[in-house]
Amino acid sequence: MNAIRQQSGEAALPVLMLFVTGSAPRSQRARANITHMLERLNCQSVQPYEIDLLEQPEQGIKHSVFATPSLLKVSPTGEVSVLYGDLSEEDRLRRFLSDLDSDL
Amino acid sequence: MNDKETKLEKRKTGIVGLDNVTGGGLPSGQATLVLGQAAAGKTVLGLQILARAIERGEGGVFVTFEESPAQVRRDAASFNWGPKLLESDQWQLIDARPRFGAEAAGEFDIEGLLSIVGASIAKTRATWIVFDGIDQLLQYQPDPRVAIDQVRRINEYCEDNGWTLLLSGKATGDSMAPAHLEGIEFLLSATLVLSARMVNQQLNRSLRIAKLRGSGHVADELPMIMDDEGIQLPYNEHLPVDEVVASNERLSSGISRLDKLLDGGIYRGSSLLISGRPGTAKSTLAGSFAEAAARRGERTLYVSFDEMEAPYVRNLSSVGIELRGPIKSGLVKFEDLSAYALRVTEHFLVLRRLLDSFDPHCLVIDPVSALLKASGTEGANMATEHLIDLVRRRGITTVLTSLSGVEDPEGEATLGQVSTLADSWIVLDYNVRGGERNRSLSIVKSRGSAHSNQERELLLSNKGIDLADVYEYGSEVLMGTARAAREREDAAARRRQQLERRQRRLDIERRMEQVERDRQILVAELELEEDESAETDHLERVQRQQIKQRRDPGQESSLTPAVSDEGEPL
Repeated sequence: MNAIRQQSGEAALPVLMLFVTGSAPRSQRARANITHMLERLNCQSVQPYEIDLLEQPEQGIKHSVFATPSLLKVSPTGEVSVLYGDLSEEDRLRRFLSDLDSDL
Repeated sequence: MNDKETKLEKRKTGIVGLDNVTGGGLPSGQATLVLGQAAAGKTVLGLQILARAIERGEGGVFVTFEESPAQVRRDAASFNWGPKLLESDQWQLIDARPRFGAEAAGEFDIEGLLSIVGASIAKTRATWIVFDGIDQLLQYQPDPRVAIDQVRRINEYCEDNGWTLLLSGKATGDSMAPAHLEGIEFLLSATLVLSARMVNQQLNRSLRIAKLRGSGHVADELPMIMDDEGIQLPYNEHLPVDEVVASNERLSSGISRLDKLLDGGIYRGSSLLISGRPGTAKSTLAGSFAEAAARRGERTLYVSFDEMEAPYVRNLSSVGIELRGPIKSGLVKFEDLSAYALRVTEHFLVLRRLLDSFDPHCLVIDPVSALLKASGTEGANMATEHLIDLVRRRGITTVLTSLSGVEDPEGEATLGQVSTLADSWIVLDYNVRGGERNRSLSIVKSRGSAHSNQERELLLSNKGIDLADVYEYGSEVLMGTARAAREREDAAARRRQQLERRQRRLDIERRMEQVERDRQILVAELELEEDESAETDHLERVQRQQIKQRRDPGQESSLTPAVSDEGEPL
């Protein structure tokens, strides 16, 4: 199930979006790293919504994401933040996800 | 490998100077790196190349990593090609600025970026792609080697997909390359380095081709300017002319005596430098040349630095040189420019454009030394050198004036370059003698002409300029009052001589008259003497008779009775 956060007046955005490019090694690593981290944070209910820029390049323009892999997070206030890279730096990923409530 | 594979294909940038120095443009189907400090003109270069491509009916994609799309549009709007670019739907502007506060947790790819751009290219049928400020994205790459790898990846992608791409990055500090992209300057097959430096409080821009693999190119730092028309390389824009015809035709300076000194005037297509201290009538001489050209029905571009048209023309008119008529009829195009207002390269460009649009037979720049004020000495010398080269190639007869310092009347040091390049050189000066300044003219050189080596006196009157014959006095050349005085003295001496002769004749005549008068007096005296003598003889005779009578009284005197002095009868 994809967690969807409702934004006032705007289309709903997934809480987490993972931008990848096909089966590129770094994209593969990012998939594994985020899944692993969500498990450790006990947030299995949150499933990142995956966007493949090779398939949907216009999504990159829409969300201003040009580096892959990138993890995009929409906070409860609608604020968007981005973490570039294959998410191999655990501390940074943990910090990035720290405000992710397990109530979702 | 055959030739076709190894030969570098080039794509025109539409910037004439750049296309000239690169031998036809930047590598087609490859990425060209554009490096430079902030505000060196990287973004403008990308936009301008895109604008030119769109004018040719091609398409483009501009990806901005640093400036906002609104800022990029504002950048474009400030140039005369901007509005057309902004109206066109043949290109796409992609905002690829990293999100505010973005972080990186590991290495990333740019395949997504390339995929996004690829989709845009398909839509716009782009021939040029610009990645402006790629360093802004790549700085998030934790490992610099990965960042450099990705620059290489971009180039590879360009080659695979036939993209012609401009990749710009900001140089930091003394290095050409962005801080985290050390060494990328030689990674790609072409690298341009833009710079903007302050020289004498003025911004001097330049462009350098640091690398252009497999192609001859100019490796120097090329003066670049950025004005209304965008980026330009003024010295590299004109197309070389194969042959320069050396004319034997002599053009009048408007002063017949000067023409005589120059063996008939200056050659058509040659250049004449007139140098001198302030007030030595340089402008007057230049004006006379333009007036003479107009009389022949030829067009003259008249450039005055730092003096406005109205007073300039009026001042010339006061010495009998009329430019108002030729200006009205369009034979003389008068341009007053401010030396300080522009950089020296910009001045050069302005002059070149004027030459292009007016296509004159003759050119006057008064004074060309004003260019020295516009920027560093190097720049001015380069500009004048290019200018003389340009007019010579076009066969334009040119008169340049140069102001020399008050302390340095010959002024050879100040414009050494010009005096070397100019075909003829006239030095004007003052000659101070007997409490007055007199203008003098001497011909320092005149290529291909026998010319007088003597200094002449230059006379200004409301009827125009004239050269006075030099007055040779021993080994000296006399001028002004000294000359006039000498002339007067000589005339006086001649007059005196004549007077003296007449005087001497008169003296003799007078002496002759005197002698004659004396003779007459003597004659008169002689007569008187004779008369007196006769009287005396008579009286003596009378007296003797009286004495005889007294001695013999009986004898009756037949003569007058003798009466004594006292009246008593004797």
